[in-house]
Amino acid sequence: MRNFWILFSYEGRHFRAAKGLVLLCCLLLATGLYGIYYGTTEIERQRQHLATLPELTRRNVEELKVKFPGPADAGDIGYYHTTFAVHHPDPWAALSLGLRDVNPSYVKLRLLGLQNQLYAADNTNPMKVLSGNFDLAFVLVYLFPLLIIALSFNLLSSEREEGILVLLLAQPVGPATVVGAKLAFRISVVLGLALALSVVGMLWAQVPLDMRVVAWLVLTILYCLFWFGVALVVTALQRTSAVNAVTLLGVWLVLVVLVPSLLNLGVAAARPVPQGIELTIKQREEIHAGWDRPKAQTMNRFFALYPQWRDTTSIRERFVWRWYYAFQHLGDQAVAPQAAAYAHRLQQRYDLVEQLNLLSPAINAQSSFNALAGTDLPTHLQFQRSAARFHDSLRAFYYPFLFRKVEFTHADYAREPTHTFTSQPELGTAYGGLVKLLLSVAAMYALGAGLLRLRPISPR
Amino acid sequence: MTYILEAKDLRKQYADKLALRGLNLQIAPGEVFCLLGQNGAGKSTTLNLFLGFVLPTAGAAFVNGLEVAVNPLKIKEHLAYIPEQVMLYPHLTGLENLALFSSLAGYKYSPTELVEYLTEAGLPVEAVRRRVGTYSKGMRQKVGIAIAVAKHAKVLLLDEPTSGLDPKASNEFSELLRRLSSQGTAVLMATHDIFRAKEVGTRVGIMREGELVDVRPTAALNAQELEQLYLTYMH
Repeated sequence: MRNFWILFSYEGRHFRAAKGLVLLCCLLLATGLYGIYYGTTEIERQRQHLATLPELTRRNVEELKVKFPGPADAGDIGYYHTTFAVHHPDPWAALSLGLRDVNPSYVKLRLLGLQNQLYAADNTNPMKVLSGNFDLAFVLVYLFPLLIIALSFNLLSSEREEGILVLLLAQPVGPATVVGAKLAFRISVVLGLALALSVVGMLWAQVPLDMRVVAWLVLTILYCLFWFGVALVVTALQRTSAVNAVTLLGVWLVLVVLVPSLLNLGVAAARPVPQGIELTIKQREEIHAGWDRPKAQTMNRFFALYPQWRDTTSIRERFVWRWYYAFQHLGDQAVAPQAAAYAHRLQQRYDLVEQLNLLSPAINAQSSFNALAGTDLPTHLQFQRSAARFHDSLRAFYYPFLFRKVEFTHADYAREPTHTFTSQPELGTAYGGLVKLLLSVAAMYALGAGLLRLRPISPR
Repeated sequence: MTYILEAKDLRKQYADKLALRGLNLQIAPGEVFCLLGQNGAGKSTTLNLFLGFVLPTAGAAFVNGLEVAVNPLKIKEHLAYIPEQVMLYPHLTGLENLALFSSLAGYKYSPTELVEYLTEAGLPVEAVRRRVGTYSKGMRQKVGIAIAVAKHAKVLLLDEPTSGLDPKASNEFSELLRRLSSQGTAVLMATHDIFRAKEVGTRVGIMREGELVDVRPTAALNAQELEQLYLTYMH
């Protein structure tokens, strides 16, 4: 053990002498800090945007009060009044933005059909989406392995190629101690960097101190250890530094780029998701057909859903709001199975990726970070369900006005339901990811140790 | 008699070559045994087997009574090794390199002591605190000698140790070997240098195609006879 610490301390000297590596570490530190800045700025931008929404609703109400100074038909109010279902980010979202850049953080809702409103989001720049998020999770998952490769590709081969290993192993020190000390030093440098960035990110994002702090740090440690395990396996093969570098970069390319791409294609083929546009068109056709359908037919279908309004007066007028909202409602009902199937298919696709991500620790780590931050697909689907329930509550609020022919007064604006939804972490997914990563790490170190046992380190 | 180095029917088969064919060798404390032979004769393989760098296909190597394959770390406490080309950490000074290798061997020296070891090995005092990257091959070789001496090993394994040294330094190295030998250190030296072998060796062994074909005490031969003997086996 004494020799382990001697070699460990001298690794520090070797590392300081390798100016390129020190520079690389500094560069990654700066990149990590930029990732934290990017993530916190993006979430702050979303928060500021979301903070303006109540003001927009308030102004809309003020305008309606001017437009309808006295008691008004609730149908008019329901048509012109906009409110918002809001998906507030968890502070953790700043560290792992996940799908928050592609999925809307709020949904603008009126009393009309829900489905077309649910998917009506602001346009985003596809080039920006293509480039992805540059948050801390991205730096940890995609760039840290490159640092680990740069630090470890010549773990032992450089000493062998320079002829120093002969003299080193002529001392009473075993190859395992030499490899262990070198690996341990590199692990301490990388983990020091990764954990420091994580802590800075947590402080910067002002995350709550809960179990997720531990989970994030353990996830970071395990993910880095996995890549050191890969480096150990490649070292155990005892090839030249050049071959090691190419092999490690190849593994990075496979695990970080190739497997995720193939998995994406495979999962898309295995779990096809119906096109959202088909759902929207069908709902729109159903609603537009409502104008031409006999009113009694529309209302009977609606009363089958809401028998409590069956005793309301029959419609003789050319246009009344309750008939209008009834066929809007029926439009949603007509596509309800498709909407459910769409969400179900998305969830199935996500679940399949969760099962297969054992093949790529990079995907596993990314989805685990997203799950901790509440920025993954299940969270978005939860928000959509929450928005749908909010829309239901709007209907439940307005329908008595419409069907009992109660006038809508200015005081009723304050009684209108409001919505809020804050991301919740998917802890089950994150903990599952931790277990899978632990298995990957164990497999790598077992393989590395096995190879070293089969082929003892040669000093030449 | 107790031997500090012993090879019993030591055999090493590489994938495509039989490098050592049942070597039997005993070296006593204070003895300087020089292995002569052409490239590929098995000299370096013999040293590697004593160092535990390669495992024997058959037979066993012993250092201070310990079987190398069974006690790979323990035997290195008794061994010091100087390869043909001593390579060191180039960004560390000669002093720092010596401090590193000595501490791995279990010795902690003061800077003054380290300087003494280096200068005794022939390194100029002004060079000891210079980065090894600026050293010549001969200077690195001298640091290698200092590392070996500072280890106070019972056995010195040398693989062409004077190949990078100038005549004066080679002569100093011979003096050093004689001194260590007189203190009881056993030396096994693989070399092509017949005259150095005659000068410092107590016995010479001639290796050919993995076999120790002849062993003679150097006292019984003069330089010409040794050269003649060597040439006889080489053709």
